[in-house]
Order: sequence, then C-alpha cells, then structure tokens
Amino acid sequence: MATANPIPDNTLATDNTVAELLVLVTAMAPEHFNGVLANLASAFSPENFIVATQNELPADVPSSLRIVATPQSNAAWSIKPVDFVNAAQFGRKHGAQVILILGPEADSLSPLALRGLNDAVSKASIDLAVPHYSLPSNAGLINSAILYPLTRAIFASRVRFPLSIDLGMSLRMAEQLSLAAERVSAVNQGEVLVWPVNEAIAAGFAADEVDVGSRAMPQPSDPDINSILSLITGSLFADLEAKAALWQRPRRAPPIRRPIVEAELSDGTANVARMVAAFQLANANLQEIWSLVLPPNSLLGLKRCSTLDPAAFRMPDGLWARIVYDFLIAYRLRTINRGHLLGALIPLYLAWVAGHINVTASGIPAERHIEAVAASFEADKPYLVARWRWPDRFNS
Amino acid sequence: MQNLVDNTIQQATRNITASPLYSEDVSIWHHMSDALHQSLYRVLTLLIAVLPGILAFFLSLLVFALAGMLISWILRRCLTWAKFDLRVARKSGTDWAPASSPSEIAARASFWICVLLGLVIGVSAFDTSYATGVALPISLLPYLTHAVGAALLLIAGIVIARFLARSVLISAVNAQLQYARILSLGVKWLVLVLTGAMVLDHLQVGGNIVELAFGILFGGIVLTLALAVGLGLRDLVSRSLESHVEHTGERTHMPDEATTASQSIRHF
Repeated sequence: MATANPIPDNTLATDNTVAELLVLVTAMAPEHFNGVLANLASAFSPENFIVATQNELPADVPSSLRIVATPQSNAAWSIKPVDFVNAAQFGRKHGAQVILILGPEADSLSPLALRGLNDAVSKASIDLAVPHYSLPSNAGLINSAILYPLTRAIFASRVRFPLSIDLGMSLRMAEQLSLAAERVSAVNQGEVLVWPVNEAIAAGFAADEVDVGSRAMPQPSDPDINSILSLITGSLFADLEAKAALWQRPRRAPPIRRPIVEAELSDGTANVARMVAAFQLANANLQEIWSLVLPPNSLLGLKRCSTLDPAAFRMPDGLWARIVYDFLIAYRLRTINRGHLLGALIPLYLAWVAGHINVTASGIPAERHIEAVAASFEADKPYLVARWRWPDRFNS
Repeated sequence: MQNLVDNTIQQATRNITASPLYSEDVSIWHHMSDALHQSLYRVLTLLIAVLPGILAFFLSLLVFALAGMLISWILRRCLTWAKFDLRVARKSGTDWAPASSPSEIAARASFWICVLLGLVIGVSAFDTSYATGVALPISLLPYLTHAVGAALLLIAGIVIARFLARSVLISAVNAQLQYARILSLGVKWLVLVLTGAMVLDHLQVGGNIVELAFGILFGGIVLTLALAVGLGLRDLVSRSLESHVEHTGERTHMPDEATTASQSIRHF
C-alpha cells in the first residue's frame, strides 16, 4: 500500500534515473538506516547507485545520494516476498545491473562486505551472491541443523546461509525471485518465505556465497521456538516438495568444502539439561506420533539417546539426517496433519541443539560439527530419493 | 361302590361332550395347519409386494453405478485432455499435495455421487413398496437417514477427538507439561463422550437417561481435569502471583531462566 513519500525532494531520483547498482533497504529502525546509508556512501560512489527504501530519511542525509521511495510494508526479521517484487520492479525501472537487498539491522555489515556482494555479481558473473556470516557457535541453530545441511545435500549448494537476510543479485535473478514471491504470496496467507538459493538452482543460475564477516541477526518478533521452527521448516519442506522433480535428477557434483573457520564460542551449557529434559518428555509421550513418521531403527536410536545424561548427550549425525528426511517424506505424504508433524519435530530439534552444544563444549569447533552433519545428509540422500519415490518401503 | 364308578364315568362323558374343540385329534392339526397357511400366505403376500421394491433398489444401484463409471471415465478423459492437473498445480503453487491427482479426485467424486444417487433412489423405491405391502404403513427412509446421520456424527466425532488429542499432546509436550498425556486423553474422552451422547440422541435411543448420564459423565471429566490442572499448576500459579506482587511492589526486573536461555541460544 503506497503512502505519502517520506523522502525530501532534493534526494529524489526521477523515474528515468539510471544506475549500475540498486540497493533496496527493507524496513528498519531509523538508527540502523542511518548506518546503512553511511556504509553505502563509503562503499560506493554516489553516482553509481540508487537507494530504494520505505524508511524515512534522516535530516543530515548527503544530497548526493539518490533515493526512491518504495511502497510501505511492515518491518520483518527476514526478506519478505514484497521486497523481491520491489527489487525487480525498481531494478528494471532504473536499468540496474546489480541489485542489493539489505535486511533489518544491515548497518552491522561493513562497507567491504557490501562491496564484496556487489563485486560477486558484477565482476564474477554470479547471479545470486549470498553472504556468509561469521556468527557465534550458538547462533543460527535452525540454519545449522536443518536449512544448511538439507539445502546442501539436496541442491548441492555450498551456501551456508540459505535463508540469508541480505542478498546481491543480477536483474534476471531479481525477476526470477519476484515471480517466485508472487507465486508463494498468491497461495499462502500470513508470513511466507522465499528460498533464493533454491530458486537460483531451479532456474539454472549461478549462486555462491561471499564472506561478509559478523552481522547482527534480527530475531523474529515471536521468539517462541515452536512458531519459528514450524514456519521456517514448513516453508522449506513445501519448497523442496515443489522442486522434487529437479532434485531427483542424477546427482550434481557435491560442492567444494570450505576451510573451517573457528567461530566465537558462547556458553550455552546451562540450557542443555532443559533441552534434554524436553526431549525425554517427548520421547515418553510422543511415541505414538513419531512411530507414524520414523522407522523402527530411528525410534530405537532415539530411545538410546533418551537414556543419556545431559552432560554426555549426543544426537548421532546419521540419526539426525534420517529423522529430517523422514519428516520431509511424511510432510509430502501428509502422514499426519502438517502442523502436528512440525510440532513433533521440535523436541527432536532441541535434542540436536543439546548435542551440538555438548560437542562444541568438548572442544570440537562448531563449524566442523556442522560440516559433519551436512556430510551425513549428503551420504543419506539416496534414502530420501528412494523413499520419496517408493514411500511404502519404510525400512531400507 | 358301583354307584360311585357309574357317576364318574357319566361325568367324564359329559365333560368330553361339553368341549367340542378337543373332540377329535384331526381338528387340532387342522387348526394348526390353517394358522400356518394363513401366516405363510401373509408372508408371501408381503414378499410379493416388497419384491419389486428390492429389485428396484438393486436395479437402481446397478444402473447408477454403471452411469457413474461412464461419467467418471468421460470426465477423466476430458480433464486429461484439458491438462486440468497442470492448471491446478500452476494455480495452487506449492500447496497442492494430496495422494491423487486433481482429475483423479474429480473422476472418483463423480462416480461416488452417482452411486449415492442410485442408493437414495433405490431406498426410496423400496420404501414405497414396503409401505404399501404391509397393513400398517411404516416408512423406512427416516430411520435409515437417522442411522446414516448418526454414523456420520460418530465418524466426525472420532476424527475430531483424535485431532484435538494430538494437538493438545504436542502442544503440552512442547510446553514441557509433565501431565501432557493425561490432558490429551481427557480432551479425547471429552469429545468422544459428547459424540456418543449426540449419536444416541440422534438415534432417539435412551431418552432422558442418555442426557442425564452424559451430563454426569461430562461434568465428571471436566471436574477431574480442573482438579488435575489446578493441583498440577498450584506451584506455578503461586510463583506467578509472587512474581506479580514483586514486580508491582518494587518495579524491578529480574531475568528468569527462560530469558537467559533465549539470550544464550539463538535459534535463528
């Protein structure tokens, strides 16, 4: 819904203004927006880029910056479908070759990171440049447990943050994502997510990641893990289901592994006992539901895990990969109601998190553990493909 | 003595002549045979009257089933020709994922609608012939529809009970409530008892007894759950009240364990 333009006239870009780079800044707090503008001004020369935003401009904005107003929308913790639509629309209008989408709290991205994203698209001929953030070992855990290993195994992509909140892309990639955003918005109500890496690979475009260093990650408005996990995992499962014909084709070569960089350690051991207790409670009560989804081998593995002490708790990587694959298949087959299915995954995810914290506390770098999990997902992909095609074969 | 014997013989002879029904063995069999013949006649008459209705029922079912098969086949071919599945998939995007394709579902639906139509027409024909065949006209159709309605109620009740029980179980487990299973079972039986009472009421079985029993049982379950939850949450409520008093009195914020947990672990 368009509203009054909050941008002063002296910085307004006209419709026919052309620039190589279009930077779409999503809704964010004024102090963050100021920081983004300052970083953009130091990363690029003003005549090379246009900023498209719905944020109100600060009083001291340099007049050399060219800014266009986008329709108003609510602030969010991720890139919304409407942002992709706006990016394609404004990129086309201003003849941009490169489009950067910067999510909430993007002021924590350095000018060097912004330049890196731009260069990856303009110089390295990559259609989709996805940032690789340096996060503490106990941050972005849904991504580490499910999104990254699953996307890596299924699409053979090495992108570490498939649901990134900043992106660099070519115009054709923006148009592709705009179509995908319109499609998912048309069929889904409420909060929906677009999966840029999956779309890029489905369209045959090149996607790669760019190191951007550390970044402040905005958190969802509802910090309840139940709703976050259901939303993100459900959306990814639905996208994988829609692209099943693509990823079942003969396997692509697995991506080259990145050198492991040790992330900053953070203390989360205090939560392990609680998460293990949650898992044990679920193991005692949710057997009836898990047994509809998981094969006996996995149930046995979970039973063994439930007897472990919190301090020694581990979720075997192979077991976790098998669990996620079985839940994906149950999602596809609608074995049980999808809301119930994703709800039943939560205690298992918490068990994985508890195991991951214990692993990192024992001195193993978090990234090494996550890479090992991803390798298990890759090794078990034939199981997924086999059960996807012949779901009756419950055990293999 | 001789006089006594003579009197007895005379009395017996008088008794036999006073009851003509049992005067001969032949007359008993004759009456039994008559009764049987009349009964057989009545049954055969009823069967002859009802037989066209039974035949009409089966014929109607057969004809409509065949028509349904034909319509289903034609519909399937037409939808395949019109690329209906592809259009639906394009229109609905990612959310369409049932076990069968849309055209298959449409074809099956058309077949079963025809069968249902045949069933209704057949039952109606049978009902008419049955009502005219018996001396006291009793219509079967209302009873049948009541029974079907009750069966549907029962199925819906069981499905809803199962769904709600699972929802409660998963939510309670994720909220780490120790009595999750009891809560789930309570909800399940609450819905099942309600369904059972509705089914019996629909079938008009039991009358007031069912209503009374349902009231007692339902009230009992609710009271049990209230007691269970109340006793289980006693500590939580007292802690919550204490915390509220502290907050309003001192206006200070002490981070609890949950807040600390969410700060040290970031799921996204």
